[in-house]
Amino acid sequence: MKTILSLILLSILFALTGCVQETRNIDMVNDDAKAVLGLDYRDFDQAATEMVRSMIGSGRLRKNDGSRYVMASGRVINDTMQRIDTDQLMAKIEEELLNSGQVVMTSAVGSGDAVDQLVHDNRDLRDNEEFDQSSVAAKGTLLAPDLSVSGKILQRNINYDKKTQQVEYYFQLKVTDMKSGLRFWQKETIIGKRGSKKSVAW
Amino acid sequence: MKTLLLIACMIASVVLIGCNEQSSDSRVVVQDKVKSDNLGGNAVTRPIVAAISAVVGHGVEVKDVTVKRNDADLLEVNVKGYNKAYSTKQFEYFMEWLDKDGAVIESITNKWMPVSAVARSNFSFKTVATTPEAVDFRMNTRKNRKVK
Repeated sequence: MKTILSLILLSILFALTGCVQETRNIDMVNDDAKAVLGLDYRDFDQAATEMVRSMIGSGRLRKNDGSRYVMASGRVINDTMQRIDTDQLMAKIEEELLNSGQVVMTSAVGSGDAVDQLVHDNRDLRDNEEFDQSSVAAKGTLLAPDLSVSGKILQRNINYDKKTQQVEYYFQLKVTDMKSGLRFWQKETIIGKRGSKKSVAW
Repeated sequence: MKTLLLIACMIASVVLIGCNEQSSDSRVVVQDKVKSDNLGGNAVTRPIVAAISAVVGHGVEVKDVTVKRNDADLLEVNVKGYNKAYSTKQFEYFMEWLDKDGAVIESITNKWMPVSAVARSNFSFKTVATTPEAVDFRMNTRKNRKVK
């Protein structure tokens, strides 16, 4: 009787262990999993890709003399219910802009993490006798940006029916000429989702 | 039995041909339920036709691919196709740009991007390289599982 009971307990234990959801890495290149109501990395990738292709492909950032525009990263406002690191989104876009050869990004001025404080700290070393002054950046060496890139991410929640909610995410980006204030380029990418009202979109 | 099969085939052909009716200008597509009903496309035959199309496995066909260098000296690919199915086909494409040595250029834009092709209609989409180093491309497609 004891043996039978032990066997039953062991079987139950095995069965329960087998039911535990296994942790797996996501195939980040070919992830064909279902959509989620919040914003996931695929949504950011899609938005960034559309933005970058439009911005670079438009030719508005290409100078006729072959030189490159200096671009600063402006503010990207997160007006959604989710905690979004907008610098993360911009990092993708900046990386691709740099690779395009059309613009060079500046770390001297900008918003958020785009600014490298060391650029300015390095200039505080002027007249410091501990440093070889020929290796310290001289006055008037920083380049002011020609263009800035800034934007906004918005979220709208709509009641679709009794059980379903519709969540719309708007990614807006614009490139502005710093001297004239004129807008060179802008784009809006919309990602819409419908799902259960029980799901939380944040 | 043979006669019945023959009649069924004839009806199916009439239905399919009837639904393939073109508008006076091929650039303008007038969908079912918008255009006037006919023998091949009406409330009775439409579900049958759609079912036959699904059984036959109609899908998307790529008709033309054009490649050019745009004003920004970037490779631009324009894909034109036709969705033969009686339902909207949602799919994704994956673009890889190749340099002069045939190597893949690493880019954040090497992502699956969505396309939607309306039933029995032409569709097209354009994609552009983000670096002038791209001289060729490789494209793949898959069903879009995120959309219903």
